[in-house]
Amino acid sequence: SNGGSGGTKLLYLCSPFVDAALVTGNFKTIVMLPKYVDVMEWVACNVFDFYQNLNLFYGVISECCTQQSCPTMSAGPSLNYTWINTDRKHVQLPAPTYIDYVMTWVQNLLDDENTFPTKSGRDFPPSFPSTAKHVYRQLLRVFAHIYHAHYTQILHLRSEPHFNSLFAHFLAFGKEYELLDIKDIKGQPGATVGIGALWERWKETGILDSSTKS
Amino acid sequence: MSSQSSSSAVKPADYVYFERTTAGFSEDALPRSKAAQLKLEHYYKVAVEAAIERNQRRVEVERKLAADMTMPDERKQRQLLSLGKKEGSFLRLKRTKMGLNDFRTVKVIGKGAFGEVRVVQKADTGKIYAMKTLKKEEMLKKDQLAHVRAERDVLAESNSPWVVQLYYSFQDPTYLYLIMEFLAGGDLMTMLIKYDTFSEDVTRFYIAECVLAIEAVHNLGFIHRDIKPDNILIDKDGHIKLSDFGLSTGFHKQHDSSYYQRLLDSASGVASPTSAAQSARNSVMVNAIHLTMSSKDQIATWKANRRKLAYSTVGTPDYIAPEIFLQKGYGNECDWWSLGAIMFECLVGYPPFCSETTHETYQKIINWHHYLVIPDDVHLSREAEDLIRRLITSTDRRMAVEQIKKHPFFYGVDWASIRNIEAPFIPRLRSITDTSYFPTDELDQVPDEPTGGDITGAHKELAFLGYTFKRFTLSSNAF
Ligand SMILES: Nc1ncnc2c1ncn2[C@@H]1O[C@H](COP(=O)(O)OP(=O)(O)OP(=O)(O)O)[C@@H](O)[C@H]1O
Repeated sequence: SNGGSGGTKLLYLCSPFVDAALVTGNFKTIVMLPKYVDVMEWVACNVFDFYQNLNLFYGVISECCTQQSCPTMSAGPSLNYTWINTDRKHVQLPAPTYIDYVMTWVQNLLDDENTFPTKSGRDFPPSFPSTAKHVYRQLLRVFAHIYHAHYTQILHLRSEPHFNSLFAHFLAFGKEYELLDIKDIKGQPGATVGIGALWERWKETGILDSSTKS
Repeated sequence: MSSQSSSSAVKPADYVYFERTTAGFSEDALPRSKAAQLKLEHYYKVAVEAAIERNQRRVEVERKLAADMTMPDERKQRQLLSLGKKEGSFLRLKRTKMGLNDFRTVKVIGKGAFGEVRVVQKADTGKIYAMKTLKKEEMLKKDQLAHVRAERDVLAESNSPWVVQLYYSFQDPTYLYLIMEFLAGGDLMTMLIKYDTFSEDVTRFYIAECVLAIEAVHNLGFIHRDIKPDNILIDKDGHIKLSDFGLSTGFHKQHDSSYYQRLLDSASGVASPTSAAQSARNSVMVNAIHLTMSSKDQIATWKANRRKLAYSTVGTPDYIAPEIFLQKGYGNECDWWSLGAIMFECLVGYPPFCSETTHETYQKIINWHHYLVIPDDVHLSREAEDLIRRLITSTDRRMAVEQIKKHPFFYGVDWASIRNIEAPFIPRLRSITDTSYFPTDELDQVPDEPTGGDITGAHKELAFLGYTFKRFTLSSNAF
């Protein structure tokens, strides 16, 4: 079984795994906007890095994320994300297909000089904040699926300190720059996102700052 | 007893035990996961350092401006804004994609199994790098796996002084491109071709540096598996670095069990299709006359072919440990065997099992205890011979790094400072793009400028989809 779902104990919420971390201390050090720097530049750079790093870890477990093991993009006992296709219809996709679409879509955005400019003198488009939010939401779903469906594999590979820190950093950054919708982390009644509980737990234990608005 | 119960008493209520196993994973999942972990560790280390440095730069500017009583506030404000712009463009650089057009070829300096190595200059900064091109199609044919790349990237990003740095990599539909630091001193193979043998003092220097380099690779959790003189590069001060050794042909062959099976079959006389065809033919079989070469001739032939072999996709098995051929699993001891073979070559003039064919070399390595002979006309000190025999030996008797460092052959070597002492050969370079230590005249048929990929072959991309999830990243401290 690919673990994580169904059982009474969600492994990622249990000690010692829930507290495992590669990075200790306050994420503020690396999340805070460098003084005098354009916030879009900072967000673009970090979204780029989150994408690369998530890619790295998904690449490792992608062999375990197959059409058979993950026929849907699941992220909780009764939550399956749907993809909006070109006809603007919501469709269920196997998780590997869904994730491949997400990663390809994000990569194309990152490569697009009009969306993520790299040439000097070129400005970010007015739509950049909303694009960044979209990207963030989709990357959150990839995290959510890995926690829900592939956490045992993360454990087998002894990567939980790394993956936890990457995700905690992702949450801390998303919160600071309002790239995350609380709804997306917690889900809806009847379709809760597994990692919603992780977020709460990390706020309790101080891995994530609980002082700011939620 | 009591300590056990007390330790379990402090465990929280939600404490669970999880039995870890890597049983369900493919062979590449483990090195890949290790690579991902190392990359993330590197990422956070650099992220914190960058934040600190950015802070220092800002505080410095703010302090200067505050101390300046004459500058109008408006100008101070502008200076702070321009600092922000500078920091911003620095961040932007991290996202900047580089391509072939950003580099200009200075000269082709090497040829590898999958492409060429060039000295290039980055157009905007004028900085000099070595660029390795790898043809994807060739790599696919040779079944080169992407995870090897990822593993090597981590090594190259490790900032170890013993490993050639990889700064950046990019791809187009046809090629992968690696931009590395340029080591102007050439490689040990070229040096050995030029000098034939080294004195024991010179050998001690190179082998001692190799010991530290291999140790560094092992400490990072990797086994090199393909250490050979071609992969030992010389920097501008004459010290060594191990080459990026990505996608080495040796590595591929070592994992291709059918390749070894074929070698075994052909050596043990199992009828090959050609010999079956021959016996079906109505011709008289004669006992072939075996022309044995004197060792001098043999060495001459071997030397003449050495560079050709280095350029071929087959690669040379001369330095590979027997346990790798035997496919029964191996650990990092295999690298110490290779070092023994290189040390032998430095002192004797050719590697211990060199033969006219790779089949023969392979046979000799398997039966190393018969074939490891130090020729009569070569005089080695007792210490040198002893070290060679303690490296080129069965895995259970082979020395480990701590023993190696204490071996009498290395008497007097200061392991902590060897990289800072003067090297026995210091390249005499006339400019930063001097390529006189590379046999560039032997490199015919290589286009001066890389041609770049043909964009039409988009379907080939599919086969490299694996790269989607391990896309090469810009090492953040490059450029
Ligand atoms: N960074 C570098 N600086 C200077 N010269 C280099 C560099 N990298 C490679 N070379 C030269 O090019 C030659 C071929 O490179 P390399 O051995 O990496 O290619 P290869 O044969 O494809 O490698 P592999 O060992 O992966 O099969 C080297 O022997 C060396 O002379």
